[in-house]
Amino acid sequence: MDFKTMQELLDCCEQQQLSIAEVMLQRESQISGRSRQEIIDMMKDRLITMKEAVDAGVSDASKTSSGISGGDAVLMGRYRENGDSLSGELISDAMRFAFATSETNARMGVIVATPTAGSAGILPGCLFSLHENAGLTFEQLVMGLFTASAIGYVIANQSFISGAAGGCQAEVGSATAMAAAAIVELKGGSPRQAVEATAISLKSMLGLVCDPVAGLVEVPCIKRNVIGAAIAFSAADLGLAGICSRIPCDEVIGAMYEIGKNMPRTLRETALGGLATTPTGQQMKSRVLNARQEYPPCHVGTGSGLIHYPSDGAAD
Amino acid sequence: MIYNSCFDIIGPIMVGPSSSHTAGVVAIGKFVHDFLGGVPERVFIVLYDSFAETYKGHGTDKAIVGGLIGMDTNDLRIRQAMETAFLRNMRVEFAFEETCPFFDHPNTVLIRAKRGNDEVLIGGVSLGGGISKICYMNGLPVNVMLNASYDLEQLKQFALEASVCGAVVRSRGYGLQNHAGIA
Repeated sequence: MDFKTMQELLDCCEQQQLSIAEVMLQRESQISGRSRQEIIDMMKDRLITMKEAVDAGVSDASKTSSGISGGDAVLMGRYRENGDSLSGELISDAMRFAFATSETNARMGVIVATPTAGSAGILPGCLFSLHENAGLTFEQLVMGLFTASAIGYVIANQSFISGAAGGCQAEVGSATAMAAAAIVELKGGSPRQAVEATAISLKSMLGLVCDPVAGLVEVPCIKRNVIGAAIAFSAADLGLAGICSRIPCDEVIGAMYEIGKNMPRTLRETALGGLATTPTGQQMKSRVLNARQEYPPCHVGTGSGLIHYPSDGAAD
Repeated sequence: MIYNSCFDIIGPIMVGPSSSHTAGVVAIGKFVHDFLGGVPERVFIVLYDSFAETYKGHGTDKAIVGGLIGMDTNDLRIRQAMETAFLRNMRVEFAFEETCPFFDHPNTVLIRAKRGNDEVLIGGVSLGGGISKICYMNGLPVNVMLNASYDLEQLKQFALEASVCGAVVRSRGYGLQNHAGIA
């Protein structure tokens, strides 16, 4: 039971009348030789780490060490308590928990990469909001993680999941697509509906560049996670409504790959373009970097002293 | 397939802030640590491309040194890796380059490390999501995925042979210049 594309994944599900989560779980058991229960327990460990990251973040109003982010999870919590948010409890909490996880990540706390650390807020944000507001159990959330991992597995192997390789579309885009599919299955939608939600959410993220201010996983990464969580719910609703993507999911993933390949280096996690080079972004950068440790200048040309210890003096 | 397990996607459990620029780099450093059988006393680290531009924000420097000390991706002591390296008499030097000459990827690092009489030159690439591989060893290309099992003894043998063969390949102009004194 293996699959490389979304179509093959759907074929697996439809032939055997299984959910995406179940197909992924059985596949994992096959390739690893581990028992079903062992794999579920390993996934549960990850869910618990995610919960700890959320719990650490929701009540922490401190700034991150760079001083350019932090405290927004707490603000979102206060706003949510007023009960007047436009997007309702489910999405407000998803955004709050996404903030919490991404702020914990920026503080160099322990998180679970889903699929990356830069996009680690989206999936826990959505899942724990479903737990708080829709009564889903932790056992169900673990199955949601299997759904999400199947989607991420296809995207990662067919395209990319890192901002340096393919821009933010590959990170926050993949994470949003994974979360959308997980929500659909957790709400009782079919594998096909989950894949349509994947395509719909990924399409709305295409072209998103990776332009972190000062190279930090903070601005704009944290808020992109938060908005990603909201998009995941919107895309899941579309999928559950029976709305299809006019472009098949595998082709959307192919388009993401093409776009990422054509994205200039300045917009792929080098902090050399986009928001990173706005006047404010540049000011933040010089403030942050001035406060950090510098290494003595040491630029050695390739093919000359490259692999010599610099303090020995340039040989060659 | 680079990503094989569901835990390649949901995971690793790691210290933030970046799976490719922090966790994946810890794994490369840890490989060098294991390869040398302990903490090296001297290292030279070259960060390329995206690593070179953003290492400060991502703690890439702390991550690689943490790995070299023997820490895992979820070890909170990575935050103090530089201080720990200093206390353990590990001499660390860094250089930063725009493009990597031995592997076409924005997240590449080259490490020269020495422990006792053993010395090795290892190139690693962080592929995203915390998955990395070793792609260069003592002058020759290799392909060792760090999310799968590998035979360390066999790799040590390869490294030993590479330090000799590498010289031939290099003299034909295929690889990096390499004058590392390999034990």
